[in-house]
Formats: sequence, C-alpha cells, structure tokens
Amino acid sequence: MDFKFIIEALPKIMLAVPITLFMSLVSAAAGWLLGLSIALIRKHRVPVLSQFSAVFVSFMRGVPMVILLYISYYALPILLYSYGLSIGITIDINAVPPIVYAIIALALDQAAYSSEIFRSALSAVDEGQMEAAFSVGMTRTQALMRIIFPQALAMAIPNLGGIFVGLVKGTSLAYYVGVYEITATANLLAMPALNFIEAYIMTTLIYEAISFVLNKLFRICEDRLKKFRAGASA
Amino acid sequence: MENTFKPATIPGYIPNVLRAFPVTMEILLISLLISLALGALVTAAGIGKRKWPKAIAGGYIAFMRGIPTLVLIFLIYLGLPQLAQVVGIDLTGVSKTVFIVACLSLSSSANMAEMMRASYLAVDKGQKEAAYSVGMKEFTAFRRIIFPQAFGIAIPALGNNIIMLFKDTSLAFAIGVIDLMGKARAISSASYGANRLEVYIATGIIFWAACIILEYCSKITEKIYTKGRKKATS
Repeated sequence: MDFKFIIEALPKIMLAVPITLFMSLVSAAAGWLLGLSIALIRKHRVPVLSQFSAVFVSFMRGVPMVILLYISYYALPILLYSYGLSIGITIDINAVPPIVYAIIALALDQAAYSSEIFRSALSAVDEGQMEAAFSVGMTRTQALMRIIFPQALAMAIPNLGGIFVGLVKGTSLAYYVGVYEITATANLLAMPALNFIEAYIMTTLIYEAISFVLNKLFRICEDRLKKFRAGASA
Repeated sequence: MENTFKPATIPGYIPNVLRAFPVTMEILLISLLISLALGALVTAAGIGKRKWPKAIAGGYIAFMRGIPTLVLIFLIYLGLPQLAQVVGIDLTGVSKTVFIVACLSLSSSANMAEMMRASYLAVDKGQKEAAYSVGMKEFTAFRRIIFPQAFGIAIPALGNNIIMLFKDTSLAFAIGVIDLMGKARAISSASYGANRLEVYIATGIIFWAACIILEYCSKITEKIYTKGRKKATS
C-alpha cells in the first residue's frame, strides 16, 4: 500500500464525484420525463408512437450500456453534423464535450427502464380514482396531476431509487467515451506507478458511499410519500 | 468531417462478430452457475436465524449492489494480483476469462440472492407448517413443498437476472477478453475505426436478438411451469 499515493490521489478522485453526480442527475431528469411520456403513450395506446415506444424500450433493455455509449458517441456527431449542414451551418463537432453523448445514451436508457416502472405504477392506481376525480368536476389534467400522479409516484419511488443507483454505477462506463468521471480519473492516476489496488479501493469506497447515501435518501422519500399510498390499490 | 456511415454494411458484420459468441456463452453459463450457487449460500445465511451469517449476507449484498461492475472488474483484475503478491501468491498466470467469470459471478450473486429471498418469503408460511404437520423434516419440506413453489415465483426475476448478466458479459472486453464486444472492437480497430459505428450497431443487434430470445424462453418456462399449479402466495 502506497499511502503517499492515496493522500495525493484522493482529493483528485473526489473532484470527479460532482461530474458523476451531474451526469446521473441530468440523465435521470431527462430520462424519467421521457419515460413518463412513453408510459402514458403506451397506456393510452397512441397509434404509431405506442408501437415505436415498444420497440425502443425493447432495444434499450436488450443492448448493453457500453454498446449504447459507443453508438451514441459515434453516431450523434454524424447526425449533428449533417443536421447542421442541412440548415446551412457548419457545426464544429470536436467542440462538443463527450459528456453530452454519455448523458444522451444514459438518459435514453433511463427512459426505457423508467417507462416500465411508471407503466406498472400508473396501472396499479385504481380506475375508480380517476372516475372519482371526474365526478367532483376535475378535468383530465387536474385528475392526473392531483390524484393519479402522486399515488403512482409513491408506488414508483422504490423502483426509481433502484434504477437511479444503477445509473450512477452505469456512469462508470462513460470512461470509454472519454468522460473523466470517478473511474476514469482513478484509472488515469493509477497508471504511471501502477497503483491499481489503492486507486480501486478508493473508487470502490466512493461508489459505496454514494450508493449508501442515495439508498437512504430514497428510503426517506418513500416514507414521506407513504401517505399517498393508502387508497392506491383496489 | 464527412459522413462515412454505410448502414447497408451492418448485416455483413453480424456473422463476423458472432464468431465470438461461444466465448460470451461460456462466460455467461459458468458465471450463471456460480452466481446461483453463491446466491443460494447468501440467501441461506440471510434467512437463517444466526446473527453473524445474517449480517455478513446483508453486508455482502449491499456491497455488491453498490459497486459498479466495471470497478469490480478493475479491482479484481488489476488490484487483486498486486495484493496477492504482497502475501506471496502469484496470480499472473490466471487467465482473463477466469477473472471475468469471478467478477460477474460475484456481482450477479447479489441479485440472485435478492431474488431467492423474495421468492422464498413469497411462499405462504402455512405451506411449511402443513408440510411439518404431515411429518416432513425441514429439508424434505423445503425440497418438496417450498422450493417448487418459490421457483415458480422466481422465474420472471431469474429471466431478468440472466439477461442482466448476459449484458454485463460485454464488460469482458475491458480486460481484453475477445467476447462479442471484444470482437467488435478488434474488427473496428483492424479498419482503424472506419467501420466502428456499423460494427457496434451490428453487435447491438446481436445482443438485442439474444435478449429477445432469452425473454421469450423465460415467458415460456413460466407458462409451462406454473400451468396447473395454484398460485403459491397467500
């Protein structure tokens, strides 16, 4: 064990924690919104979009994250560039930071997984709730926002917590598209003097700490939202 | 930057990448068997009455669920030999496949243990009591009454876990094993990256197809197995 290395490297690895968290939060926010839309589209069987969503979800669930990251990393610049040309501007592809491609891949992955969670949560809310909301004169949007979503969210939270921790772990793969998050930073620092064991023990402890805190936070959310669960199922 | 993407060449890469399929299958099957055995061990410790095994099982599951698989792979492949060297064990001769199987078995065993615990607890308590009341011993009751019912409940989760494990095998390339993903990287670097997008899309399609087949098998197994059985939950 090289303690000098640990003391020198730890602050540098810690500096990468915000990058990992930033990637996770942005991907989750974008992905879950898209996931909720997909869930609503599939629940109400919107033609064309619904079939498209089903294929999208199946693809995202079947393809490993690394491959999705690579596809996003190599395909999006081409798409972006040709889109730029079609509207008459030349986009400098190299100016786009790789984190953008990583976030897009992670967000799409989250969208697929969260859509399944939202779908089962929405269908678990009793039909009578919607009818009751209508009967007191609420509009469809009001009923969804005030009655259905809070109950569905309360049911979805434990599973959302699970995929969020999975997402934070998944960001470690962004290393392969050149994002300097925790794993990549640790790797970079360990390389020169081959301090692998020290670097990876630190990395492990950091990830464990993040997972622990996240699990606690989601547990708290779950408890807070419990009041919505009472009448949630038939 | 010009658009060099040729979608028409994607199917041509599929057979080429598929040549590495046996390697992926080998990793998948061995890891699956080990993770099931490890998972069963952890579950037995977790649902038992003794305090220490219970605490260790809980800690093990929490640890494995908190660490990204990629970091676990680096920790074991790069870190462990260094640590072993200190105590005088030489691990440099161990093949990469062994390392990857060890890592995937460890990370998957936590999911397997969770699945087994949930299915075991889902079987109604009365079943066990009924088995005892007709004179069965604990092990006989488990083997003939509890296990068959818990297995039926576990099938969907087992299918999911196998799919996750299958997707995780794609991380074997991280340490240079030529599995599907490793093969894809080898093909793309042989052409200096000119066809990388096409190759990765082809690999993605292979994974997708395999996952659809796995999912279908899991559904069929569940259907056949639970046919004519009463639901085991109370």
